[in-house]
Amino acid sequence: MRVLLTTSTFLYISAAFLNAQTAAYRAPRLAGHPDLNGIWEAVNTANWNLQDHPASPGPLWETGAIGSVPPGRTVIEGGGPIPYKPEALAKQKANFASRRTEDPEAKCYMPGIPRANYMPYPFQIVETPKDILFVYEFASSNRLINMGKPQEAGSDTWMGTNNGRWEGETLVIDVTGLNGLAWLDRNGDFLSDKAHVVERFTRTSRDTMSYTAIIEDPSLFTKTWTISMPLYRHVEKDAQLLEFKCTEFAEELLYGKYRKGGEK
Amino acid sequence: MNYHKNLIAAGLLAAAALMAQTAKAPYTPPKTPWGDPDLQGVWPGNMGVPMQRPLNQGARATLTDEEFAKKQDQAKKQAQADSESTAASDSRVGIGPPSYWTERGKPTRQTSLIVDPPNGRLPELTPEAVKYRKEARGGKGLPGAWSGNADSWEDLNIYYRCISRGLLGSVIPVVYNNGNQILQAPGYVVFRNEMIHESRVIPLDGRPHVNPAIKMYMGDSRGHWDGSTLVVETTNFTDKDAIGSNGAGYPGDPGYHSDQLKVTERFTRTSPTHMDYRITVDDPKTWVKPWTILIELERNDDYQILEYACHEGNYAMTDILSGARDAEAAKKISK
Repeated sequence: MRVLLTTSTFLYISAAFLNAQTAAYRAPRLAGHPDLNGIWEAVNTANWNLQDHPASPGPLWETGAIGSVPPGRTVIEGGGPIPYKPEALAKQKANFASRRTEDPEAKCYMPGIPRANYMPYPFQIVETPKDILFVYEFASSNRLINMGKPQEAGSDTWMGTNNGRWEGETLVIDVTGLNGLAWLDRNGDFLSDKAHVVERFTRTSRDTMSYTAIIEDPSLFTKTWTISMPLYRHVEKDAQLLEFKCTEFAEELLYGKYRKGGEK
Repeated sequence: MNYHKNLIAAGLLAAAALMAQTAKAPYTPPKTPWGDPDLQGVWPGNMGVPMQRPLNQGARATLTDEEFAKKQDQAKKQAQADSESTAASDSRVGIGPPSYWTERGKPTRQTSLIVDPPNGRLPELTPEAVKYRKEARGGKGLPGAWSGNADSWEDLNIYYRCISRGLLGSVIPVVYNNGNQILQAPGYVVFRNEMIHESRVIPLDGRPHVNPAIKMYMGDSRGHWDGSTLVVETTNFTDKDAIGSNGAGYPGDPGYHSDQLKVTERFTRTSPTHMDYRITVDDPKTWVKPWTILIELERNDDYQILEYACHEGNYAMTDILSGARDAEAAKKISK
């Protein structure tokens, strides 16, 4: 009896273990934690618009099809829409109307969180045995994830105060202290300085990772909402981040009216 | 016979022990879990050593006791003055940062950042570089110190423009925000600079540089280990920044470099708290021979690197340019 019970328990545990193996990918380890090192990039249209959107012209007819908006499906869990309060929705509409000059991306400002993770530029996760650095190609922006004792946000910043922790296979980053100046996409969607973003990064295969960001901002939204998308690892030989210092490309836009003799 | 042999052996051992004591035994840093020497930590730059050695110090690489005591005394007085004027401006013209921003650095005995050539001075410029500096931008010269000429942002240097400070401008100590941080992951070292938020990700796998057509302010870096020393070779530079504080090309700085610049950095930990950071500048289009600077870095675990949103907060650019246009308009009216 006793022997039988032990055997069946063993079988049961084995089956559970096998199930877990097939259902969830177990990432390689670095200092005992999932190793997220690599160059990652989203392959979607979230940077144009987080919500379902058809193709549309861009803000400048002069750039023709180059500046137009590719169609895309929503990355919002449950399909959206973004649960704006009425006055916040009005602000989004005003943002959209002035997007050519007012989108922080056009000005080459740091993209903020979560937008930095789904811009059409790669980023590198540098996971050390202690802290984790996210290095973004766009505007040389970066953020250090504190994996030690959580720190309270000091001054508000573009890239936020980032406190990380491991939950099994998942890196969870709690982001506060955002300055409320960043947008979420070229559609004028935005967060305020009251925003709290909880990000989850989970490797799902050798070359893919799931990314979700839970967005909480009671000053703008009637409820918490979540975006979710896969990230893909750059597998090309000798992949590396290059330098995209876009400040130079934004100076005419920002300061052209102060040029001697006026704008070009 | 045996007795004599033993005596000689004992003598040799004693001599070896003495030598080990006098010649500083090299420090062996701890290892990362994957076996690389561990250089991680925050290593802020230390202000206070001039780039070039004053001529009267000749080939002397270190200060005398008397000179060092004088320097320490000056530092003490400066610290006292700083503490008494925390809210006041640090600059005679009233536009400098308040003194509580200022990082004065700890006095050291080093007489100049340049340690090679042995006289601590920059080598001669090539004739090509002399000509270029004179004729740049139709004779306007390179934008170094801003001298009031602000027809457009291009009259201001890359530091005013918040573009970058270049590789060397990002590490040569300046009066504030000298934070440098080293992070390591398998196959990579990252050298992070606080001001204008640079993160140079350096692969260690021996891959070739990217094509010379790809030019970058921070260049293209490749690293390898030479014992416990990290050696980083960087090429693929633009010719749009300068060597010196903030990559701006201020008068007195080494200044403009060409796109043929090759920078070789050597990071050597000399103790749990100190690191020798040696940088060799080789730009045959600009200087007749290579030169080397040494920056002694001291680890500071309490130094907090903050987000330096330079371009995002560049009100100065708008003010300088709009001020110049207003001044022109006022001149026209008074005529």
